[in-house]
Amino acid sequence: MERSLAQSEQKAGLSQWLLRLPAILYLCIMILVPLIVIIQDGFREGLSGLWHQITLPIASHAILLTLWTSALMTIINAVMGLVTAYVLVRYDFPGKRILNAIIDLPLSIPTLVTGVMLVMLYGPQEALGGFLSERIGFQIIFAPPGIVLALLFISFPFVVRNIQPVLEDLDLSQEEAAVTLGATPWTTFRKVVLPPLTLPILSGSLLSFSRAVGEFGAVVIVAGNIPLKTQTAAVYVLGAVESENRLGASAVSILLIVISLLVLMAANAIEKHWGVHR
Amino acid sequence: MKKILNYLVIILIAPLLASCSAGVETQTNDEVSLILGAYTTPREAYGEIIPLFQEYWLSETGQKVTFEESYLGSGAQSRAVVEGFEADIVALSLEADVNRIQEAGLITHDWKAGEYKGMITTSIVSFAVREGNPKNIHDWMDLTQPGLEILTPNPNTSGGAMWNVLALYGAALRGKVDGVPGDDPQAASDFLCEVLSNLSVMDKAARDSILNFEMGIGDLAITYENEVLVGRQTGKTYELVIPTSTILIENPVTVVDANVDKHGIREVAEAFVNFLYTQQAQEIYAQHGLRVVNPDVAATTTELYPAVEDLFTVEFFGGWENIMVDIFGEEGVYTQAILQVQGGE
Amino acid sequence: MKQKKKGWGAWILIMLVVSYMGLLIVAPIFALIKGALQNGIAAVWHSITSMALLNSLFLSLKIALLVVLVQAVFGSLTAWIIVRQEFPGKSLFNNLIDLPFALSPVVVGYMLLLLFGRNGLLYPLLESLNIKVAFAVPGMFLATLFVSLPFMIREMLPVIKNLDRQQEYAAATLGANRWTVFWRVIFPQMKSALIYGVSLTLARALGEFGAVLVIGGGVQGRTETATLFIFRSIEERQNIEAYTASILLGAFSVLIVSLADRFKNIHKKKQTIKSI
Repeated sequence: MERSLAQSEQKAGLSQWLLRLPAILYLCIMILVPLIVIIQDGFREGLSGLWHQITLPIASHAILLTLWTSALMTIINAVMGLVTAYVLVRYDFPGKRILNAIIDLPLSIPTLVTGVMLVMLYGPQEALGGFLSERIGFQIIFAPPGIVLALLFISFPFVVRNIQPVLEDLDLSQEEAAVTLGATPWTTFRKVVLPPLTLPILSGSLLSFSRAVGEFGAVVIVAGNIPLKTQTAAVYVLGAVESENRLGASAVSILLIVISLLVLMAANAIEKHWGVHR
Repeated sequence: MKKILNYLVIILIAPLLASCSAGVETQTNDEVSLILGAYTTPREAYGEIIPLFQEYWLSETGQKVTFEESYLGSGAQSRAVVEGFEADIVALSLEADVNRIQEAGLITHDWKAGEYKGMITTSIVSFAVREGNPKNIHDWMDLTQPGLEILTPNPNTSGGAMWNVLALYGAALRGKVDGVPGDDPQAASDFLCEVLSNLSVMDKAARDSILNFEMGIGDLAITYENEVLVGRQTGKTYELVIPTSTILIENPVTVVDANVDKHGIREVAEAFVNFLYTQQAQEIYAQHGLRVVNPDVAATTTELYPAVEDLFTVEFFGGWENIMVDIFGEEGVYTQAILQVQGGE
Repeated sequence: MKQKKKGWGAWILIMLVVSYMGLLIVAPIFALIKGALQNGIAAVWHSITSMALLNSLFLSLKIALLVVLVQAVFGSLTAWIIVRQEFPGKSLFNNLIDLPFALSPVVVGYMLLLLFGRNGLLYPLLESLNIKVAFAVPGMFLATLFVSLPFMIREMLPVIKNLDRQQEYAAATLGANRWTVFWRVIFPQMKSALIYGVSLTLARALGEFGAVLVIGGGVQGRTETATLFIFRSIEERQNIEAYTASILLGAFSVLIVSLADRFKNIHKKKQTIKSI
């Protein structure tokens, strides 16, 4: 057995590279090349040039708007994702299977369609939207709430699907023990159920945050795009591209890339070190 | 095994891909293809003009012409052409966008020579208001009503938006806005700020702006007269208000030399541009809400297109070159105004 | 399944979840369908049969299928070498793979424009070969390829990690060559993940908008995908067309993904049965 293993390991040298080369080439071409191009373009005028572009009032506002709407969405999504996962795993009720299937819908629906749908439902002329904006003065479409709503839609599956498998594997007996010892449901939840879920919640949230920061299709329809009011970073880049502010486009793009990368790396690190299944 | 099969398929697909792109430009003598890059507003007009031209060209030369059309914001379209979109003919909203293509070296003839200086249609900046004009908008000063929600497209991407800003600022400078002294750049700039602070949405292009208005957003849209008329033709009930002083929007059309020579279709492309000046085509423009350059057609449509009390053009500002720096440049009047308005909130 | 007895607290939570998902996900879908049907079924049928819509769907499918093909091969390959091999720069690549997932599609389109636009690095080379990339289908293909990169790889990674190496060694000992080992031992275990990865990639590719808008130009009849068609229809006040196309595109994607999901579950059950 050992001899044939050694033989196959020897042959592995060449075939290893046969496999390795196309894959590495693929990754290089697909990711590294465009990345290098944009970095090179963004640093055309040096770091100060890039910084100048990012700190232009309209650009920095767009970036901040993107960050806080994504962050707000992430928080809401984490909470609702947790509740949804809990409800789906722990309870049985009519329509549960349908609910479970609906969760994955946002993953398949094109983001542009998402934007269209939200405007159809919450636009001021529609029943719901008109009601909200006239009676309560709460505007959804073409205002930050619309942005948060669109982001919530597309990110919904991430936290839920991250939590579900972990929750399913949890041993109910611990919870039952806690209850027997006199703990309230809330304490039980906080001290027994929540801790093992912290990491999937965290990594799912980081994932949805990084996804949200770059979102374009849903937001561009729903957001209103007023510079310094409702224009997100992604839409700003589009405007910069279309108005020949190439340095601005590259600069903000690089910033978005850096943010996304950092968040993704954090999420990956969490998963790697604590072995959470996705 | 499957992997080999997969590799095989890839090897087969690659030439397919290459042929996809290369094949499109093959022109035979019986069939040619023209690419039109236009701004959003005249979409419907070209929808009717093109079939007429196709008929005309077929009967004249026996050659069949197919069209590929792209409609984007004027600035966006202009940039696309510069970046590699091989439009044979461009029909844009303003001269500056055509100049950009010329400066990129793609237009080499003097497109402004000629009877109409390269302009094919005109329109004016005006307002679209809700049915019955509930906010009582009659002129520029009414735009500063507190709490009014105004839509206008973003000058960064939309030619239409630039016209709007110019009309606003120009009317103020000319002393045609009640309460704003003429010839006073500071006062005019303040007026601009006041109006800008009432902005609620800034879209990518003129068409997007009016569509949002139709969706129920805002109380008024500053837009082309043309957009309002076309919208009304589809049954919308908003009303058109023409201010006492406004700017004449002149829309250019021209052949893109680099592309027509590359595609070898200069003759038919130039014929198309000439066709746009014919009575037939100009009448179609007129039916789709555009004022025309052809004086005969213009004379028959004065009812639909009333004269404006004080009509000025880009010459009032010294031409597009000055406008791009003085008004839309980094230190320009508009740029400063928008920063002032939004930054202060 | 661990079920608890439901008190009223449980029902509050359930209602909360149901109303949240109802408002967030279900209601907009219903609004879309209602909007499409507002002029009756005949109008919907009329839109479905319009050449522009069908052409755009066809183009979207063409690009998406090609992308899926390439991703299936290279994605699996990449996942393989990440799991099974060590090479310099591996962890860097591992992090970069997720980048397209988070990157704004507009940025992607712009990056491609920097490469393939008239002032782009590769333009002179392509011009001499008479290949058009920017504002043509190849550019849109590359853009779609980029944005869908992570899906296949991420699906395959855990599966390849969990492959039963004992079986591989056993097969090798018994004299099977590498191809047989792959085809008979490795591939069957990867099958369901491959199919699910394909479906996710397909859905993502069909739904791509921002990047193809920037690099493609939306030229009717030539570079107009389904998403660009929807965008244009809205601009042209052809709302029924826009909504119908949205429903078609969305329904198709959802169908593909749920079919693959079902296949994955069935396959998983088979695997667990087999291993017992």
